[in-house]
Amino acid sequence: MPICPSCEIKFNNWYDVAEHIDLMANKRSDKSHVMWLNRNLSIKRLSKEELAKKLEDYFSTPEGLGMWIRKRFIEKFYGENPHPFILAMQKPTRGVLLGYVIEHQHFLKNWVKVLSSIVFKTDKDEVVEYELENIAVEFIGYKGRPSHYELLLRMGESLGMSREKILNTQPLPDTQFAINTWRRIAEEKHWLITMACMHSLELVADRSLRNYGAKLHYFDPQILTSDEYSQAVKDFLREGYEADVSHAGEALHLVEKYAKGIEEEIQINVLKSFDAFSKYLFARLERGIELEPQLMRVITR
Amino acid sequence: MKIIVNGKEAGSKETGCALCGATWGEYYEEIDGDRLFFCCDFCALEFKNMVNEVKKRTGWSKIDELIINGNYYTGRTCIAKLGEKEYKFYVKFNEEGDVGIFKEV
Repeated sequence: MPICPSCEIKFNNWYDVAEHIDLMANKRSDKSHVMWLNRNLSIKRLSKEELAKKLEDYFSTPEGLGMWIRKRFIEKFYGENPHPFILAMQKPTRGVLLGYVIEHQHFLKNWVKVLSSIVFKTDKDEVVEYELENIAVEFIGYKGRPSHYELLLRMGESLGMSREKILNTQPLPDTQFAINTWRRIAEEKHWLITMACMHSLELVADRSLRNYGAKLHYFDPQILTSDEYSQAVKDFLREGYEADVSHAGEALHLVEKYAKGIEEEIQINVLKSFDAFSKYLFARLERGIELEPQLMRVITR
Repeated sequence: MKIIVNGKEAGSKETGCALCGATWGEYYEEIDGDRLFFCCDFCALEFKNMVNEVKKRTGWSKIDELIINGNYYTGRTCIAKLGEKEYKFYVKFNEEGDVGIFKEV
């Protein structure tokens, strides 16, 4: 059922959604509706008829919901203007990596809390198993290997920052905003929406994105064999590089399997999650700039 | 004030929002004697905060021209001009529309 992507009111058809958005954006200048249009559809004003057609096209899923999510992710993070943090990761400096460490510890702690809300709400055993394994890999350690959280902290230590200092640094406002967004989704939405919103973010390190039009990898894979980076840096980056292809793909498969009837709700919340993720990635860079002011050139180029 | 957003003139209903260039919406604010068009009150708030920050840092009483490049996601790299003088800066707004990051470049 067509839904307003800004305020989530349900309508009978896309023309009714377009009429509603036209009223909210053009007559009332409502910031939430205008921002959604600007960020996702067009900054150019459209007639109601054009808007209805654009909305219908934008939300259509001829290749399935999973592929829709994958393509939207590429558009936002790996398209013509890749996210500045991803640009910085092509040859990351100490500042970029430490920014990553300091902000990401907060992301990872929140990550497992939100995943546990999926476990709490779902009645699908395969989803419970998938999420519990993910929680173990990310936070506890799995099959004798250290957790991603532990590998992240070791990366920070190898860059010269103590574990105590890393753990005692509060998140930047954009990281906190993003965390609040995901917690709100976990508390208020269907578990499947939460699952889609969280695991679609793992696409960031999915090497197969290049096959679907991404201009870049998450980082230059030569880093994994370069002498310029410590073993701890390589160990952390390699874990994501090797794990997230299967993780994101498997989650999107599960989402698609159970999504019938709530596809549009999943789509609009995934877009909200992407906006939060963009802010959060930027916070990693902002933290890096605090430590290494010359990193400003990455965002002002 | 002459305003260029991502390479195109902006600031009127025909040309688009003085901050983001969008032609949605119907919101106006008078800034430095000019009646400027914005797509929403939030863009207007951000624009005013940015202009005030530039004035505070430069000591200028007004801005003749403002060139804005970027967007919500990346922040904006800008040039403010007054006569022959130029001031280059980067700005990113926070969730309240206040200046979150501001750096001279």
